[in-house]
Amino acid sequence: MSEPVYRLEGLTKIFDGTLTAVNGVDLTVRPGEKVAVIGPSGAGKTTLFRLLNLTVRQTAGRLWIAGQEIGDLHGARLREMRRKIGTVYQQHNLVPRLRVIHNVLAGHLGTWSLPQALRSLVRPREEDLRAAHRALSQVGIPEKLWARTDELSGGQQQRVAIARVLLQNPEVILADEPVSSVDPTLAHGIVKLLVELCGTFHKTLVMNLHSVDLALAYFPRIIGFRDGQIVFDRSPAEISDDLLTGLYAGRLTAASAEDSPDAVAETVRSCTPLLRPQ
Amino acid sequence: MRAATLLVPAGILVLVLWSWHGTRFDPVGLLGADGRAQMLAYAEKLFPPDLSPDLLRKVAYWSLETFAISFMGTLLSVTVALALVFFASRNLVFAGVLFEVDGAGQPTRIARIGLFVAAKALLNLLRTVPHIVWALIFVFAVGLGPFPGVLALGLHTGGVLGKLFAEVVEDIETQPLAALQAAGASRPQVFFYGVLPRVLPQFLAYSLYRWEVNIREAIILGYVGAGGLGQQIQIAISLFLENKLLTLILAIYLMVTLVDYLSAYLRRRLL
Repeated sequence: MSEPVYRLEGLTKIFDGTLTAVNGVDLTVRPGEKVAVIGPSGAGKTTLFRLLNLTVRQTAGRLWIAGQEIGDLHGARLREMRRKIGTVYQQHNLVPRLRVIHNVLAGHLGTWSLPQALRSLVRPREEDLRAAHRALSQVGIPEKLWARTDELSGGQQQRVAIARVLLQNPEVILADEPVSSVDPTLAHGIVKLLVELCGTFHKTLVMNLHSVDLALAYFPRIIGFRDGQIVFDRSPAEISDDLLTGLYAGRLTAASAEDSPDAVAETVRSCTPLLRPQ
Repeated sequence: MRAATLLVPAGILVLVLWSWHGTRFDPVGLLGADGRAQMLAYAEKLFPPDLSPDLLRKVAYWSLETFAISFMGTLLSVTVALALVFFASRNLVFAGVLFEVDGAGQPTRIARIGLFVAAKALLNLLRTVPHIVWALIFVFAVGLGPFPGVLALGLHTGGVLGKLFAEVVEDIETQPLAALQAAGASRPQVFFYGVLPRVLPQFLAYSLYRWEVNIREAIILGYVGAGGLGQQIQIAISLFLENKLLTLILAIYLMVTLVDYLSAYLRRRLL
């Protein structure tokens, strides 16, 4: 059996010495797996993802990526490790004023030197142009190669972000709520695209999802996350309504007691899949 | 609460009265019969403007010299500002999303903060010394003429633009930078891919605006011997050449209006 892509042992992140966002998580993700992480807002999912893509450092616990312990990696070796992890965020992945081609080719920055990066901004190499065009074709918008990024719709921008990850050619793709700010009718298409691309290119995929429906529809492994901890970790077939109700339970009352109307609306939305008749 | 809201207008009123007294502000003296007569007499002396072809040729040359001082001075100031802005922006030197996971030890961190403080201090020095003081210093150093004017505008405006540029850089959204970093980009790469494209239009707009200011400042600099129209105005006033003075004032009016329109047009095109 090959090395796990991710191995977490008691991984913990405490902000400012008081706020525990991720609390002693043990987890193993094997190559080629597709994992969805679901759970209420404020469960610590985003912090978990930032630990996984090495943009925050854990307070305690240990983290291995492809068999290599991360520890206090920094400088060029940290960059090298980050290059192996592609991230698609909820939004604002891209530099708005840059043309699509340069946002896509930014996927190469982990391997390019500074002069190479600057030369590409002036005039992309022929082979890079072809690679960018191919990646954009794979996400369905090859005609946008030279468009200004801020002229694209939200859904198209997420496709560009995915094309950039394809150029980066990482071993694992992390997607942190990639469709939360996209029209619900387009959301299915984008999640499906990511799952299929990861299948085609044998990439591991870990996706943080607001929508339980999407998680159950496309992922063979579902992790329920709450209060910084894993509540369950199983296949969709093994996930009952009781389990889901338990995952989100208490959020509605807690939210209405102490939070703004926005937070309540957010919680209601995250529970909507449960409230709908089967 | 009510007392506090009354305090502000009361304070402003006190400030106005105190300044009025302090500056010996005297509308009666200005607009009284005596003042009016003197102003009218001087205005009569100004007319008609001296439009002899010989003077017009010279005025055109001096105008171009002032234009060149403002243009070169602004160019120099942009160079100074660009050289310092990278070190004078917190989010590029030591703080924020690019430094959250940072293996560097305490000495490196202190050195970075030191670099930031030094860059800020240098910008403050350039900015707080008025351009006319810089011009006097450079007139002593390199002699009379337009060159000290260029240096004075370049340094003073460099300090102004450096501060404005750094504020623009510190205000940009962090998510695109975080995304580039997560893809493995180095900090210089993040600067050229994420920061520069984002801030360049604002940098250009500020630079053009300062150019409008500099065309007027370049005239004032002539007063201390830094060439152009200002130097000629100083001569015209000291030698009581009122008709020539009016010609020079008309030239200033034309040139400042022209640069204002040009700059406004370019800024509209950019943003």
